[in-house]
Amino acid sequence: MFSRRDFMKQGLLPVFAGSAVPSIFANGLAAAAADSPQATPNGRILVLVQLAGGNDGLNTLIPFQDGAYHDARPTLRQDTGVLTLNNQLGLHPNLKGLKASWDAGQLAIVQGVGYPSPNLSHFASMSIWETASVQGGIGDGWLGRYLNYLDKVGESPNHALEGVSAGSLVPPELRSKTPVTALQSLSTFRLQPVNEHGTQVDVENPLMKFYGAFKTAGPAPFGALLDTTLQEALQASHALQATDATYQPKATYPAKSPIASSLKLVAETIVSGLGVRVAHVTLGGFDNHAREKPVHDKLLLGRDQAVAAFMQDLAGHGYGDKVLVMTWSEFGRRVKENGSAGTDHGTAAPMFLLGAPVKGGLYGQQPSLADLDNGNLKFTTDFRSVYASVLQGYLNAPASELLGGNYEILPLLKA
Amino acid sequence: MNMDDAAPTPTSATRSLPIWRRPVSRRAVLATGAAGAGAAALAVLWKGADLTQILNRVRDLTHDYQGALSNPRVRAAHLLRRAGFGGTGQEVDRLAAMTTTDMAQSLLDYQQTSNATLDGQLPTLDLSSAKGPNPGAVQAWWLQRMVQTARPLEEKMTLFWHGLLTSGLDKAGPGQMYVQNELFRKMALANFDDLLKAVSKDPAMMIYLDTETNRKGKPNENYARELMELFTTGIGHYTEDDVRESARAFTGWTLQGGKQVRYTMQSAFIPRYFDGGQKTFMGKTGNFTGDDIVEILVPLRATAERLSTRLFSFFAYQNPEPEIVHHLANTFQQSHYNVGAVVREIFSMDAFYSAKAYRALVKSPAELTAQTLRATGADARAYLAAANAMAPMGQVLFYPPNVAGWPGGASWINSSTLLNRLNFANAAARRAPMSSPAQTGDQLTATLVDGNITGNTRDGLQAFAAAHPDDHAGLLFMTMATPEFQLN
Repeated sequence: MFSRRDFMKQGLLPVFAGSAVPSIFANGLAAAAADSPQATPNGRILVLVQLAGGNDGLNTLIPFQDGAYHDARPTLRQDTGVLTLNNQLGLHPNLKGLKASWDAGQLAIVQGVGYPSPNLSHFASMSIWETASVQGGIGDGWLGRYLNYLDKVGESPNHALEGVSAGSLVPPELRSKTPVTALQSLSTFRLQPVNEHGTQVDVENPLMKFYGAFKTAGPAPFGALLDTTLQEALQASHALQATDATYQPKATYPAKSPIASSLKLVAETIVSGLGVRVAHVTLGGFDNHAREKPVHDKLLLGRDQAVAAFMQDLAGHGYGDKVLVMTWSEFGRRVKENGSAGTDHGTAAPMFLLGAPVKGGLYGQQPSLADLDNGNLKFTTDFRSVYASVLQGYLNAPASELLGGNYEILPLLKA
Repeated sequence: MNMDDAAPTPTSATRSLPIWRRPVSRRAVLATGAAGAGAAALAVLWKGADLTQILNRVRDLTHDYQGALSNPRVRAAHLLRRAGFGGTGQEVDRLAAMTTTDMAQSLLDYQQTSNATLDGQLPTLDLSSAKGPNPGAVQAWWLQRMVQTARPLEEKMTLFWHGLLTSGLDKAGPGQMYVQNELFRKMALANFDDLLKAVSKDPAMMIYLDTETNRKGKPNENYARELMELFTTGIGHYTEDDVRESARAFTGWTLQGGKQVRYTMQSAFIPRYFDGGQKTFMGKTGNFTGDDIVEILVPLRATAERLSTRLFSFFAYQNPEPEIVHHLANTFQQSHYNVGAVVREIFSMDAFYSAKAYRALVKSPAELTAQTLRATGADARAYLAAANAMAPMGQVLFYPPNVAGWPGGASWINSSTLLNRLNFANAAARRAPMSSPAQTGDQLTATLVDGNITGNTRDGLQAFAAAHPDDHAGLLFMTMATPEFQLN
């Protein structure tokens, strides 16, 4: 594996040595030298997979023996091929990769996850999950607070690649004063000031003059944001360029799959050894109000194949025991299907935690289909209990402090 | 309010006025007026000058943000950026000679402006083929409209509606998105109730939010919920029962025809699909239709305040003061929900021309791309390339991230999008068929950054010009790479 010290020797110094390099990078360089994923006690990585739009939990973890399920889902029910976990519950037939992880003891499923007074708005509910607060709002995300904590205890890699998301927007979970990076590709994550003759033009010094003092000289409310973002962007892109771009995937990712491309990009960033701590990818399309079955079946298949390739890839690069994958969605769907062969917004749904760090098994309690609240499931486990378990049991972070409350710790994870 | 008619001296009376009514003092205008006159003179003086001279003059033009909008050219450029996609030097000159009222009027009364030149240059979208147009063609078509239109506010409002009354290519087809886009253009400044009734029956919307499958006895809540949560009152003003009941009212409409050519489908009302029973909605009971629901929602104060906030935040600055929202909501309600009346009011407020408004928005990728192409020139291929280049900046036209549209503001800027914004500026500047020193100077002063940059930015540009004395395209790129240009 490529250590931070190695790339210092091989690539970083020549890049930074020239007088053309703005002085802010000197700090990043010193900080980077002191830190490496191997050198810290907490080099563990959490990867969130967001199933955006509200995943149909009942057609993901299926109570196939429950007559009420079949009655509520005359066209949407899964009658055949359910991958049984026990005599009551099974996985959707397209989740073969998850089933293999289950068989290997590397899949923990928390049933009936939700929160009190469920909000059926996508955006209000997402905000609640993202901030780990039932008020929601625009405050720091729960993982942003974790990155702040790493900063405070001196375990931050000190560049914006400690938190990454695939795509063009930073997800609100990662929002805080700690810089994070939205990535579309590693190879294009750089300034490309090529002139008409194909020659690189040095623009970083003038750019630093523009932006370096815009925090104070520029207008509110966005002057400071532009200033810090440009500095972070140049710093992170330099760190990336200093690594050898020799990533070779150790798994075959599905073609033409945005979620697979996203996870591959995350794997590449992790394998570059720069110290990714949290990563986020989104798979959208779960708001299946109409004609749900073909759409949902395909989404689950794509997610399953992409995640399986990702786990195999990381294991092949020696990161198997350092990565935990967790899926979440803002809510499940209404128990009874609607007239459009779809489902409207609902409440509780299962969460999946995957990887070598987990203690496989079912946790919590499957919500009853006979005891509903306005047609919706009653949650049995608070999502913040899952967050607390991951923060404390996996990331060795103070869960109560970061979540602003005490939540039950579930034994989901190996010590 | 017309600032040019404003009383010259602030009095205790004007101090007690709400902030959008407070006139800017004549003294403040005069204090910075010299810089404005200087800018106009320089645009002439620079023809034929070399880069060194240009940058020497920029130094002289640098001045404090607080007074920036007292300068008539800067006011005109500000309005053209907000109401459209930035002005050319000529457009800035033309508007700078007008009063504030006339400036706003010239943009608002666009129906009188012919768009024949644009129409003659737009590619013909192939709406006859079974597959319909491809997404890239429709995206490039709209981007070209933004760049070349003689009616910038019409395109800007179309962009506003696309971000509020969202539909997207993840469910609707490109042909349907094109049809919806033309609806937004046609009703850009219409009465809001009329627009919502039309959008409720728009095929792209009916597919995007599932009204097309909403049937009697089998209601689908998707459209009813988002109509309230996102399009009208906002969350907190309705109950889950209101969602369920209004979903029943929107039954009856479906899409017909277009078996072969899906985007030619038309909405149609089928009585047997309609739930004709009594519905209780927002405390009223009746045999409501979807139009009835719109007529109940639009007059609500929450709708007036929410739409006013959205419009002001889109055009002026985020988080408007409650008194501004109150005033605009009154305008909305007193004008029978006329969007044009609200926009007209925004463009006449002193708050719109206040220091707080200047460069207080981040250019969206659509605004950045269109303004860049207006400055550097573009051919047909460039529109398609630029439409594609918007994706890594965080905005794909006709493909909002979800039904809430693009969150905008700070979310446009992260390390990845900022690098991509700068790389796009470089690519565009390097392709620009221009870049004589005079043109670069004109770009710098009149159109791109108002001749108004911080001392640090000026130093950076000078350092670049000193190191690359012949690289005019490079200086144009660097001008577009300034934080000043990234803001709107």
